[in-house]
Amino acid sequence: MTTIPCLGQSGPLASYTEPTKRIHDGTDVQFFLQSLAYRDITTFILQLNRSLVPRKRSADGTIKEFKPDSPCQEDLLPQVRLIQQLVSKLEALIAEAPPDTGPRRFGNVSFRKWYQSVEERVEGFLRHVLPETLHPAIVEVQAYLLGSFGSAQRLDYGSGHELSFLAFLACLWKLGYFNAEPEKAELQLTESQADTTPQPQDQYREFARTEPHIVLAIFRPYLNLIRTLIQTYNLEPAGSHGVWGLDDNSFLPYIFGSAQLCPPLPDPDTEPPAPTPTSGSLASSPDPSIVTKRNLVEKEAAHNLYFSAILFIHNIKRGPFWEHSPMLFDISGIKDGWGKINKGLIKMYDAEVLSKFPVVQHFPFGNLLRWEKDPSARPVIQTTHQSNQPLRDPMNGGGSTNATGTRPPGANVGTAAPWASGAGTRAPPPLGFVDGVTQAPWAKSSAVTPGARGRMPPPRSARQSPGQSTHSQASQPTSRST
Amino acid sequence: MSDLDRAIAQLRACRPIPEPQVRELCYRARELLIEESNVVTVDAPVTICGDIHGQFHDLMELFRVAGDVPDTSYLFMGDFVDRGFYSLESFLLLLCLKVRYPDRVTLIRGNHESRQITTVYGFYDECVRKYGSANVWRYCCEVFDYLALGALVLGASTEVPENRIQQSNYDTQTTLPDIEGEIECEVLDANGEVREKILRRQFNLAPAQTSRIGPAPDRDPNEPSSPITSSIPPSQSSPSQPQPQTGSLFKPPPTTTGALLCVHGGLSPLISHLNAIRLLDRKQEVPHEGAMCDLLWSDPDDIEGWGLSPRGAGFLFGADIVRKFNHQNDLSMICRAHQLVMEGYKEMFEKQIVTVWSAPNYCYRCGNVAAVMEVGEDGSNGGSVRRVAGGEGRREMVGAEPGMGSRNVVGDGQTNGQQVNGGGGGGGASAEGSGAVVWNLATPGRRYRVFEAAPQGTRGMPAKKPVERQDVTVRKLSAFRADEYRSDVTCEMLGLSAAQRAVLKVLLLWLASATCIDSSRCGLYRAESDAALSAGTVEDADV
Repeated sequence: MTTIPCLGQSGPLASYTEPTKRIHDGTDVQFFLQSLAYRDITTFILQLNRSLVPRKRSADGTIKEFKPDSPCQEDLLPQVRLIQQLVSKLEALIAEAPPDTGPRRFGNVSFRKWYQSVEERVEGFLRHVLPETLHPAIVEVQAYLLGSFGSAQRLDYGSGHELSFLAFLACLWKLGYFNAEPEKAELQLTESQADTTPQPQDQYREFARTEPHIVLAIFRPYLNLIRTLIQTYNLEPAGSHGVWGLDDNSFLPYIFGSAQLCPPLPDPDTEPPAPTPTSGSLASSPDPSIVTKRNLVEKEAAHNLYFSAILFIHNIKRGPFWEHSPMLFDISGIKDGWGKINKGLIKMYDAEVLSKFPVVQHFPFGNLLRWEKDPSARPVIQTTHQSNQPLRDPMNGGGSTNATGTRPPGANVGTAAPWASGAGTRAPPPLGFVDGVTQAPWAKSSAVTPGARGRMPPPRSARQSPGQSTHSQASQPTSRST
Repeated sequence: MSDLDRAIAQLRACRPIPEPQVRELCYRARELLIEESNVVTVDAPVTICGDIHGQFHDLMELFRVAGDVPDTSYLFMGDFVDRGFYSLESFLLLLCLKVRYPDRVTLIRGNHESRQITTVYGFYDECVRKYGSANVWRYCCEVFDYLALGALVLGASTEVPENRIQQSNYDTQTTLPDIEGEIECEVLDANGEVREKILRRQFNLAPAQTSRIGPAPDRDPNEPSSPITSSIPPSQSSPSQPQPQTGSLFKPPPTTTGALLCVHGGLSPLISHLNAIRLLDRKQEVPHEGAMCDLLWSDPDDIEGWGLSPRGAGFLFGADIVRKFNHQNDLSMICRAHQLVMEGYKEMFEKQIVTVWSAPNYCYRCGNVAAVMEVGEDGSNGGSVRRVAGGEGRREMVGAEPGMGSRNVVGDGQTNGQQVNGGGGGGGASAEGSGAVVWNLATPGRRYRVFEAAPQGTRGMPAKKPVERQDVTVRKLSAFRADEYRSDVTCEMLGLSAAQRAVLKVLLLWLASATCIDSSRCGLYRAESDAALSAGTVEDADV
């Protein structure tokens, strides 16, 4: 029978370490998919996902939906409110770094200013937010938080950064941060439950009240912050397949938003717990096909994360919806309801985000999200293996005559241009929407900063006397010889 | 009507051709392309286009604005695929046109014409989706390997080409006040109305001088109509300066200019002469580094010398590199694409290099306009074109380096007297103690046609012509309601193969929009969606 896995709230750890990059090639992704970190992340996503599914009170048949506007500020856990304030503080910093008005090529360089001020203040913010016992954990938590606003260097934002924010929340969860005042949590959300008989204190019921708030009161403001950043600084999408990706930047709002529209789960939950719905829809849910109609999308966007993401697309794109977002258009034709959509999106998230090397390569691992084999992990199935090697499998089949085609899998990343080999914590390659710049997929992480430009390779003319013949200048710049 | 013409008609209607036809087409294209040099020679007049990125309807708009094939001769500088919804239709149409009119269409390779890039940026996904397998993607990639790396446009005139396309009755000549002097560049909007005219910078030539070359100073450096303010230091215009153009033995034709090099990205530190490009073995996947990679990946930038590219491939290169390269190769200009420019075109480095971008409202969200660049032919040679890179032509100053004798821009150490009269491969710089003035071949006269994204109403519709012919299966299926198509049983009843289904799906999509069926109601592409979702990824559908 179904068991609903949940992420343990183990509380503070004995020691913390600065999270480090572990995924260096395709085979590392295979390990990641069997790691404890992967287990924790997927568990947490499923947990949040399930918590957003509407509930039907068995007592009177009323249905409780989870909407951003339903919990008012007073209902929120103080911890949730603190994180929410943290996000709005970050948003306020945008005013201090207005977009540069000069000519620009790679997004707006003022984003770097914003990011820098975040970097400077984030530790202070976290100290304010976290209880003293958790201050040692800041070193880990902050790495994920800082990784979740896009790349200052590349001026881009993609689902890898979104994953980083989820990891930030998962870390807080694991630290027991949201569990500090369980009695307060009792009062949340389901006001109708207040007078019902005492609930059995199983783990599921306990966290189910906090989690919708994590999504609706923290993750949603975070998404709004990101959208503001994208529009203010023209951040480029990182890691999309042109029109053939789900969305240029985001993924999780589609998962959480579709969960909000699933058919209701029983409340109180049955024993064993009812499985998360995989078909059907909430009776009052909008038809998935309305995504193409902006006015209808606008109405839903206020309550639902899925439609708020769709509305953002309508805001930034011009053209027929089915042309610029064919994947979402396809999904809008699914007849089996939001449950089916939700299930499919989770599967797709696993394949297109968690299993994709370009997306997860910069995800760091520490003591909270551990780079360690999960003893209970199932072996990775072959299709997943294929899908996370998008650059290599088709090429090998394509009869490439170049050396890249004959390199063993996983070697591509290491064969980037020599200057691109310095590893750093950088986002996946950008896909130049704003300025048309395409990043070489094999470029690992050139530590190019604007200031470094033009330094190498040294200009030939600088090393040459004026009297020399022009034709003797065919020698290569030294940096190319590597 | 030949099969090829039929395929062209079908593709113009934005309907993909069946897989066997793609295979045949790609085979024929490869046979054609294999004969081309790495740097293919193209005669002016020609219309030069930048990135297309699968924006089929905008490509149609381009043909409307700049003239159709074969009336207009086209040079496309790569990046036909990826990002957009119609990479397949766009590339196959261009390829068909290339096979059908080999002398009127030139295609060179962009960095997206590569296996590795297309698997990341969408073309691979598109092929798998539209055909149900990666076969078509493979055929196309094989063609990519044969595309030329660059093109050399010869016989371009310094005069703005004659405008052969009059799209409006509006008298374009009266829109701008009459300006005296030679027009170097003209910018037209999609309706053929003149938006801007740019005068060629005037040089102070004595009436007795017949030669138009020579380092004569500007008449007035601050002349308002001149788009470039002079950067010549005062010492340049002093009477003590040698006037080497007097007594010239050679008089280059006053309207001839050097060749234009068209390349997708830009220059490479490994390439100092065009011949070095010709020596490359291009028939391969675009390498991660090296000259071939650089040509397709590099970008010009406001730096000195070479710089690291933030793209992780290719280099950044500065004005000095371009000036020197153009000088050494007798080029008057480099045309490249590769970078979005909001105005559709952008000239840099004293007009020594131009970026042309032909994908309006890139990725549905950038809000940019697109442009193509026309260069005209020089009639002064009686139509004959020198078959060498560049050669003699009118020279103009492209830069001055005040007080930077050691910068050694170009023409190192050559004396003024030698270089100016030397004509061809000789130097073009005047080096003085106080600075060096660079005299490169005059930029060609050029016309930019700027256009916006095709209007919404034209999308999803065929080109104006009605469907030429529907084969039996199409007629059978068009009788069905779109929703019925979702049933696989229906397809099986009709005996359709997977590939046929994919084609018909696209076709039906068009039918639906053409007949104003509410697109959100019809199944079509969505028929796949359940499968796509449960498979997790479209790539799983691959072999």
